[in-house]
Amino acid sequence: MNRRFLIVLLLIWSLGPLFWQVYTSLCSDQALTQPFASIDHRWTLVHYRNVLTSNPPFWRYLVNSFIVGVSSTFFCLLLALPAAYALNRIPRKLSIISRLALVGAALFPYVLLFLGLLELARTFNLGNQLLALSLPYAALSQPLAILLLNSAFNDLPPELEDAAKLEGLSLFQRFRWILIPLISPATASTAILVFLFSWNEYPIALTWISDSNKLTLPVAMARIAGSSIYSVPYGAYAAATVLGSIPLVLLVLIFQKPIVSGLTSGAVKG
Amino acid sequence: MIALLLVPALLLLVVVFVGPLFRYAWLSFHADSVITGLIAISNGGANWLRLVQDQRYWQDLFQTLRFAGVSVGLELVLALLIALLLDQRWRGRDVVRTLALIPWALPTTVMALGWRWIFNTPYGPVDHLTKIIGLGSLNILGDPSLTWMATVWADVWKTTPFAALILLAGLQTIPGDLYEALRLEGGNALICLRRITLPLLRPYILLALLFRLAQAFGVFDLIQVLTGGGPASSTESIALYAYWNALRFLDFGYSATIIMASFILISLICVIAWIALQLIIPTHSKSRGAVSS
Amino acid sequence: MTLQIQNLGRRVGQQWIVRQLNLQVDDGECVALVGPSGCGKSSTLRLIAGLDAVSEGEIFFDQTKVTHAMAAQRAVGMVFQSYALLPHLSVTANLELGLRVRGVRPSDRQQRIQAMLDLVQLQDRADVLPAQLSGGQRQRVALARALLRDPEVYLLDEPMSNLDAQLREELRPELRRLVLNRQKPVIHVTHDQHEAMAIADRIAVLHSGRIQQVATPAELYHHPETLFIAKFIGRPQINCLRPSNGVVCAVRPESLTFASEGIPCKLISREWLGSSQLLYLDSPQGPLRLSCSTAVDIPETIHVSWKASDEHHFDAASGIRLP
Repeated sequence: MNRRFLIVLLLIWSLGPLFWQVYTSLCSDQALTQPFASIDHRWTLVHYRNVLTSNPPFWRYLVNSFIVGVSSTFFCLLLALPAAYALNRIPRKLSIISRLALVGAALFPYVLLFLGLLELARTFNLGNQLLALSLPYAALSQPLAILLLNSAFNDLPPELEDAAKLEGLSLFQRFRWILIPLISPATASTAILVFLFSWNEYPIALTWISDSNKLTLPVAMARIAGSSIYSVPYGAYAAATVLGSIPLVLLVLIFQKPIVSGLTSGAVKG
Repeated sequence: MIALLLVPALLLLVVVFVGPLFRYAWLSFHADSVITGLIAISNGGANWLRLVQDQRYWQDLFQTLRFAGVSVGLELVLALLIALLLDQRWRGRDVVRTLALIPWALPTTVMALGWRWIFNTPYGPVDHLTKIIGLGSLNILGDPSLTWMATVWADVWKTTPFAALILLAGLQTIPGDLYEALRLEGGNALICLRRITLPLLRPYILLALLFRLAQAFGVFDLIQVLTGGGPASSTESIALYAYWNALRFLDFGYSATIIMASFILISLICVIAWIALQLIIPTHSKSRGAVSS
Repeated sequence: MTLQIQNLGRRVGQQWIVRQLNLQVDDGECVALVGPSGCGKSSTLRLIAGLDAVSEGEIFFDQTKVTHAMAAQRAVGMVFQSYALLPHLSVTANLELGLRVRGVRPSDRQQRIQAMLDLVQLQDRADVLPAQLSGGQRQRVALARALLRDPEVYLLDEPMSNLDAQLREELRPELRRLVLNRQKPVIHVTHDQHEAMAIADRIAVLHSGRIQQVATPAELYHHPETLFIAKFIGRPQINCLRPSNGVVCAVRPESLTFASEGIPCKLISREWLGSSQLLYLDSPQGPLRLSCSTAVDIPETIHVSWKASDEHHFDAASGIRLP
């Protein structure tokens, strides 16, 4: 059927390049140069072994990225949750203007900020520290996070909080017992999107981190590619690409629902 | 009192977003490079004058606009098709929806390296394909007239899922009985698309367009890893040029000038794109009139 | 305990939501606030509860001024139209939350919740989530939460309007047993005048943020102070004759009787209401509604009249009752 053809086309388009990387990473060097010829020793795991035993080993970058991702996400939510709540409780006009400004900031191509942030890192000596990266990352994902959480707070029936006020719950207690539990789906979506952003971010990590033991995954990948376009060990590259992709492919497969709902509610509101 | 909860987030946003912009505006009127010993010295409008006369800047600007225009255009068309496909009901749709999202989630630099291998001459699959269909070996990453298309291709691959998801969210807000009513009046699929889908989808198209346009204008990761700006600067983008100026030539004043100019430009482009879209797609109220008449 | 409200007002932007509101509610008295939607009745309740800021006037609980006190410090028990139960907590946990933050010891909490669940007859539903309860059960949980607060004042914000008509009637005696017998002031907001008349000792009619009249149900029905109240209270609605000399004359449908002389009317249509019937008539004075026994047969053309003492007179311009 016509539709089935389109679906297959979509899948080839989306996943084909990835499969080619998987295929390449498993090919011996000899097979790489002759991809369609018949060769005796076509399959090998040597590229993975090389990548994982290099100095520093590849998994170090994954760990670094994970550390940065988790700390940025935590930091971002810590600031965004109260801000998103307060945004509904300031004068209406001010709230609308703030939200427009946040939409503008979310659209902004943040790469243009690299120079200012680099100066910031120099002034406060934040370079080459993984946890310090969560400062710009939390800030850059702040607009989207506030907007998403704000719409989640908006959707809560106000009587729930009113009833809690009458019961004597303080603002902190209301957060603890009512607001945080009730918006946890939106918080989960936001957290995953922030984590994805931090995991994938490149220009700022590139300018802030130079110590090869502290590189995040995207910077490490670019550094591997740093040499000439020609005559490069593509088998090892492909193995690195596959290893670098696996965590995110898993993340998307496991958290498909919150990711989609996060992006979607962001769109509906924007 | 509750407004105090806004303060930490606001502070962070000011430091990271507003701070650099003011700093750029200030730096763009200063010489701040190795020559000045990395000390900012006011030089009037010299940076801006240099920018106006800088061949490489105008070349890069053209290349960036070409890249952004072509890839965002392709992306939106493809995204609309994908969204229409994923909006229909069929078995396995949710699985396909998830799988189609994977390219968006991967780090740009990771797949940029992958694309370098795919476009490799003579060992990449694309080179083999062009040889098979009789175009011969094209040397895609070595030919300035082709390399930019490779960057567009890689960008479209990575960002279309995001645009498709936003448009899909829009499609799901359109009530089905609108289509049924138009069908009863004898409208075909094309009229439905023109009179119902596109007008009602407009806010979503607008969002995807503005977001993607701004991001594509700032393209950096992809180009730096896939081509390094080459061959012969033929794919260099504004962001990459600003980066070279700061990190390689250590000329912060000029780098800030380039960024400031880009910021003003991208703001203008977004406003123009917004207005253009209002003109291209009829508004919902107009289309409703057309349906009833 | 006496709840006293003096000259209360709330303004949002340029608009007064509630204005110059005076009301006193004594121990064990139930006052119903009625009025069309948007008249300010829920806003008044929120002002008394301390959920919204007062723009002018004072609120006293006995001699204590609470006008600007925090909601938590007012000892107010409120039941919301939507019940406002936390969807992620069980019935027990919903009830326990307030006790916990008020520093009641765990053993005490359990005991008081158990007693309360017995009182509202939900012993077997203690551990389920609100979503698994019926509307009536949820309302009883919301009541139980307000009762556990042991408040000085009860505020009921349309507590029954999410329930179907039959359940509402069943719950009225329940509401009397649980709340009205506690010898505390009760304010009951409702848009259902039957409910107001059935439950309340006095009814306050609000219109555009102001109280137009506070009176017993009977007084309100027989001596409405304004044309608005005359029209608002009583179903089928009162008949308003064509104004003459700036005076509107209004007559209740049940005051109209058949007569050999009087106003000649043409029968337009009729509705059966079980014990009675409602006739829609066309007369030279304008359309009229007449309610009478179903046993009567109605010819096409009839004459109707009424006693002069059944007439209500209002000033046509201001709507205020004329003596």
